[in-house]
Amino acid sequence: MVAGTDTAVVRRESPAVRWAKENLFSNWYNALLTVIFGVLFLWGGFTLLRWVFFRAEWEIVRANLTLFMVGRFPRDELARIWASNYLIAGAIGLMVGASTASAAAAAKEAGLPFVRSRPRDWIQRFWPILLLVAILLQFSRTWTPTVMVLGMVAVGVAARYAGLNLPARVRRYAWLIMLIMLIGAYAALSWFGGVELDGWGGLHLTIFITVAGILLAFPLGLLFALGRRSSLPLVRYLSVTYIEFIRGVPLITLLLMGAFALLFLLPPGTQLGSVARLIVAIMLFTAAYVAENVRGGLQAVPKGQTEAGQALGLPAWKVMRLIVLPQALRAVIPAMVGQFISLFKDTSLLVIVGIVELLQVSSIANSQPEFLGKGLVDVTLPFVALIYWVGSYTMSRESRRLEKKLGVGER
Amino acid sequence: MTQNNVYSDATRAGGEVIIEVQGVDKFFGDFQALKNINLNVGKQEVIVVMGPSGSGKSTLIRCINRLEKHDAGRIIVDGIELSDDIRNIQEIRRETGMVFQQFNLFPHLTVLDNITLAPRQVRNTPKQDAEELAMQMLERVKIPEQARKYPGQLSGGQQQRVAIARSLAMQPKVMLFDEPTSALDPEMIKEVLDAMVELAESGMTMIVVTHEMGFARAVANRVLFMADGEVVEVGTPQHIFEDPDEDRTKLFLSQIL
Repeated sequence: MVAGTDTAVVRRESPAVRWAKENLFSNWYNALLTVIFGVLFLWGGFTLLRWVFFRAEWEIVRANLTLFMVGRFPRDELARIWASNYLIAGAIGLMVGASTASAAAAAKEAGLPFVRSRPRDWIQRFWPILLLVAILLQFSRTWTPTVMVLGMVAVGVAARYAGLNLPARVRRYAWLIMLIMLIGAYAALSWFGGVELDGWGGLHLTIFITVAGILLAFPLGLLFALGRRSSLPLVRYLSVTYIEFIRGVPLITLLLMGAFALLFLLPPGTQLGSVARLIVAIMLFTAAYVAENVRGGLQAVPKGQTEAGQALGLPAWKVMRLIVLPQALRAVIPAMVGQFISLFKDTSLLVIVGIVELLQVSSIANSQPEFLGKGLVDVTLPFVALIYWVGSYTMSRESRRLEKKLGVGER
Repeated sequence: MTQNNVYSDATRAGGEVIIEVQGVDKFFGDFQALKNINLNVGKQEVIVVMGPSGSGKSTLIRCINRLEKHDAGRIIVDGIELSDDIRNIQEIRRETGMVFQQFNLFPHLTVLDNITLAPRQVRNTPKQDAEELAMQMLERVKIPEQARKYPGQLSGGQQQRVAIARSLAMQPKVMLFDEPTSALDPEMIKEVLDAMVELAESGMTMIVVTHEMGFARAVANRVLFMADGEVVEVGTPQHIFEDPDEDRTKLFLSQIL
């Protein structure tokens, strides 16, 4: 071989071809694998697309879209759901705006550059959700949902603008405004002659149970984690007993207890609907795992951190809150979000206690007279799976983002 | 005999006593880490503690701000006796700064926030005042330009100087140093020792566990030599380094030189 011919060949190749040669066809068995997997991939992709666009009978989803979204929520009360969604969109927009403004102000004070996220960043960040919303909207037979969703986006953007321009003094209380709006969102659904929790259903209920479960389980888990490390023996033993008891019991057992036994354990006269009792069961279950995750994080913070705080004269609870906990929680974000993703998917176990959540709708749709016996589970289950995937994948991505953001200056 | 020396030296140094350690014992399980330690430290005095590893040097100074609890004897700092009363402990810790071998800066906070944390949270100093104070302390250790960085972005020597500034921001009456240069690369030891010498010359009362003989010669009023949990010998740097009375001291010095 003459070196000259080699370079001549290389010069004619485009970078893509060179990359393919180096990575896919570097030797005969590599080339063989590339061809085999290439064929499999193309065949799989073709089959999938053919199924999605020609074979699958999406009629069952189209006919039951409202059922998938809100279950047996009374159809003449649906306006309440939209009102509630508008309030949530406003609350999220306001919070995003206010926290962006705070971050910008802090960066300015520290003399650091601040890059505000552009619409393109939002699309990159939440493309799975946007894709899902587009899919859901194209299943709809009317334009109402599309108009409503566009309205929600508009409200969110407007609220973000308002949040960005709040005077600094009011901005400090933005979280309070958001909290009131979220309570308002719940009130719009349930109060003033609305629909009780037990009447909710579908994706709407799944999301509500997930969010409520996370919001309740996190502080409770934190308390048990701290309790497990308490210097008071009674608190410590109670925490250990609780954590080990819950971790030793399958979630289904707890759900069945929540559905059928919890009422007997509560003081007589307690008004707690079945969905509320199940949320309690999920909260108790998740809290035990959160507690163990947080305990792992607490143990990972070096003892010197506590000592440095003590030596400065900080009282023990401030050492915990300002020095140890922030580092411990950061270390366990991946584990904790993993736990929350489990919670999200485990809401599907509520099927066995007769709650009409997302997965249950799939069975209901398939037992309707016009779809019964047609074997359309292979349409409804992938549809439900897609929704679970979008939720889980988004949580996972957000967890990684949060980790990176809090990892500033980590060694 | 040793005890008498300790007391007379303290009075010689400045008259007023700020730390009194009387007959202190400390056990870790069956192991006795401190055996009947007696030490009086006068105001503005600088004491260097030396000794082989496991001799109880660190334990001694960690007892003074109650990072370790002593099992017998009394420790009195600025007129407050250490007891189980948490208020007494907090009060002593506010008056006592400590610098650790591993720096122990808070990695999730900027340098500035590391320094302002305690003044703001313990002394309720307003944010602006605390930040001004922090910048003064950073000037003092000669790294004001690092204020907005995170500890992980600094060199070891810079981190240790931030740790000194963090302690000073509480305006303590006493500073304890637990092997402040042992975890540093050789080229960074000097910048930390310089900051400590400046501090000593400003009149700070200091107890320093270190094997830096140059530092001891430059600023120490007394050198305390410890072995096996006991104070073997106390004296001026000259006396200890050039003409020690005890064989254990001689042996130790021959090993570290």
